[in-house]
Amino acid sequence: MHPILSRGRSLILYLASWSPIAVFITILLSRDGSLSALEAESIAFPMCAVYAFVCLSSWYLCKVTPLKETNIGRIAATFGAASILTSAAWLVAIRMWVVLLDSISIFPGLNDRNTSQTDGLFFLGVLLFILASAVHYLLIAVQESRQAEKRTLELQVFARDAELKTLRAQIDPHFLFNSLNSISALTSQDASGARRMCLLLADFLRRSLQLGVRESIPFGDELKLAESFLDIEKVRFGERLGIDQQVDPDCHSCMVPPLLIQPLIENAVTHGIAPMIEGGTVKIRAARSGSSLEIVLENPFDEEARHAGTGVGLQNVRDRVKRMFGDEGRVDVQRADSRFKVTLRFPCVS
Amino acid sequence: MRVVIVDDEKLARSLLFEYLQKHSDVEIVGECANGLEAVKAVTEQKPDLIFLDIQMPRLDGFEVLDLVGHDVNVVFVTAYDKYALRAFDVHAVDYLLKPFSAERLAEALDHARAKIARGERPPVSKLTADARPPGAKVERILIRDGPQVHVISVAKIDYIEAQDDYVAYRSEGKQYLKQQTLNEVEATLDNTRFVRIHRSYILNVDRLTKLELYAKDSHAAILRDGTRLPVSRTGYSRLSALL
Repeated sequence: MHPILSRGRSLILYLASWSPIAVFITILLSRDGSLSALEAESIAFPMCAVYAFVCLSSWYLCKVTPLKETNIGRIAATFGAASILTSAAWLVAIRMWVVLLDSISIFPGLNDRNTSQTDGLFFLGVLLFILASAVHYLLIAVQESRQAEKRTLELQVFARDAELKTLRAQIDPHFLFNSLNSISALTSQDASGARRMCLLLADFLRRSLQLGVRESIPFGDELKLAESFLDIEKVRFGERLGIDQQVDPDCHSCMVPPLLIQPLIENAVTHGIAPMIEGGTVKIRAARSGSSLEIVLENPFDEEARHAGTGVGLQNVRDRVKRMFGDEGRVDVQRADSRFKVTLRFPCVS
Repeated sequence: MRVVIVDDEKLARSLLFEYLQKHSDVEIVGECANGLEAVKAVTEQKPDLIFLDIQMPRLDGFEVLDLVGHDVNVVFVTAYDKYALRAFDVHAVDYLLKPFSAERLAEALDHARAKIARGERPPVSKLTADARPPGAKVERILIRDGPQVHVISVAKIDYIEAQDDYVAYRSEGKQYLKQQTLNEVEATLDNTRFVRIHRSYILNVDRLTKLELYAKDSHAAILRDGTRLPVSRTGYSRLSALL
C-alpha cells in the first residue's frame, strides 16, 4: 500500500495541495462562459480528488522502475505511456461525470454546453501524472538516504559496542580469579579484610562497566578506576607492589576516552611488577601544561623475564587517542634500563 | 606425605596452608614465593608433592616442573590458562582452579596419594611442550645443578649431545647435564637454528664453519672452536636443506 494512505494527516495535506489545481481547472473550464463558475467547480473539485488518488498509483510504477537501475529510454516510455493512458481514462471519467450531473438534472443541459472544454484537460492530466511520478521518485530517494543514514548510525553504534566489549573482555581473567582466591583466603584469616576486598572488587567491576558505555569521561573518573584496580592488586601482591601517584587536581576535569589508562596500568602490574621477585613501584604522573594534559605511567620490569605483553592493550590506547584527538594526541613509549614508560599527551578539553 | 607450597601470592599460600593443615598425614616442609625457591626446596627437602602456581616471577610453574618433575609429584594451581588446562587433561596431571574448595583440594590429595603409591611421576617433557602456546619455541634452557639453576640462552648453546639417560648442553666451553632425551630436546628447539645432525647430536647451525667429507657417505661438521662432530647421511641432507 502507498505509505500516504496509512497516514491520515499526510493524506489530508496531500488532498489539500490539489485544491489550487482544482481552482485552476475551474478557471479553465469557465473561461469561455459556456459553463457557469458553479458548474465548472462541480466538475473540477470531485474530478481533481479522483485524479489525486489516481496519481498515487505512480508510486508503484516508480518502485518497479528504480531510477538507478533503469535506462532513461525505458523510463520515458513507461511514464509517457502511463501518463497518456491515465489522463485519457480521466477524461472519460470526467465525461461520464458531466453526463451524470446533466441527467440527474442538477445542471440541465450541461452535457450539451460542454463541447470540448473538458477534453482540453488532457495535457494537464499528463503533466500532473508525470509531476506526481517525479515527486514520488524524490520521496523514494529521501526515504532511501534516511535508511542509509540509519544503517550507518546503527553500524557505528555496533562498532563502538563491539570495541567496548573487547575492552571489557580484556579485563584479565587472572586478575578476577586471583582476586576471588584472595577473598577466599581472607575469609578465615581476616573477615573484615575479605569484606573490604569484595567491596573493592565490586567497585572496580561497576566502574569499568559504567565508564565503558560512555563516549568520553573526566580523567578523574578514569583515575578512580585505576586506583580501585591498584587497591585490589595491593592486597594480592602486598609489599611487592608500590604505588607512587602524583596527579595535579586540575587534570581531573579533562575529558578522555573511557578505559584509556586502565589497560596500561594492568600491563604495568602484570608484565612489569608481577614477574619481579622483589616487585617494584608503579608511577603515575599527570600534569597540565597550558591547554594540554600529560600523563606518564612508568614501571620497572625484569629484562630477563619472558612475560612479554601482546601489545593489544597499548595498540588500543594509541587507536583511541588518535580517534579522539587526531594529530594533536601523542603516545610515546620508552623501554630502557629495565624501565617501561608510556607518555600520553593531548589537549585538555573539559 | 611431605608437601611444598609454591605461589608468589602470600594469601594464596596461606589458603593452601590452612586447607592442608586439616589433613593429618600432610606435613608442609616448604613455602616458596617463586620458582627458584621451589627448585631449592625440592632439592633440599625432597618432598612427595608440590602445589605449584603457574605464573610466577623468574621461573614459571612449567619451568619448575621441567627442573624437578622427575623427583616429585605435582598439583598445578592456577587462576586461568587457556593452553595449560588442556594439556593437564590430556596428560592426566591434576590441577586446582583458583578459587578452589577444601573438598577439591582433598580430592587432589587423594589422587596424589594414589600416584605416589604407584610410584608415578608427571610426564615432564610432554606436558611442558603441550602447555605452551602453539608455535612457541624454547628460548632458554634451564639446568638444575643441586639447588642451583643455570639459565642458558639457546643462542649460547654450541651443540647438544646424548649421553645415556642424559643430554649434555655445551655452552661457552662448559657442559651441563640434564635428564631428558635428545628427541625431546629436538622437538622444543627452533628447527631453523638447531639441526639434528646425528643420532647423538643437535648442532647450533650458527656455530658451523665447514663440512668435511671424511669417508664415503660420511661427513664431519667443524665448529668455530675447532670441535669435530659426526654428521650422518640424514643429518647431512637436513643441513644442506637448511643451508
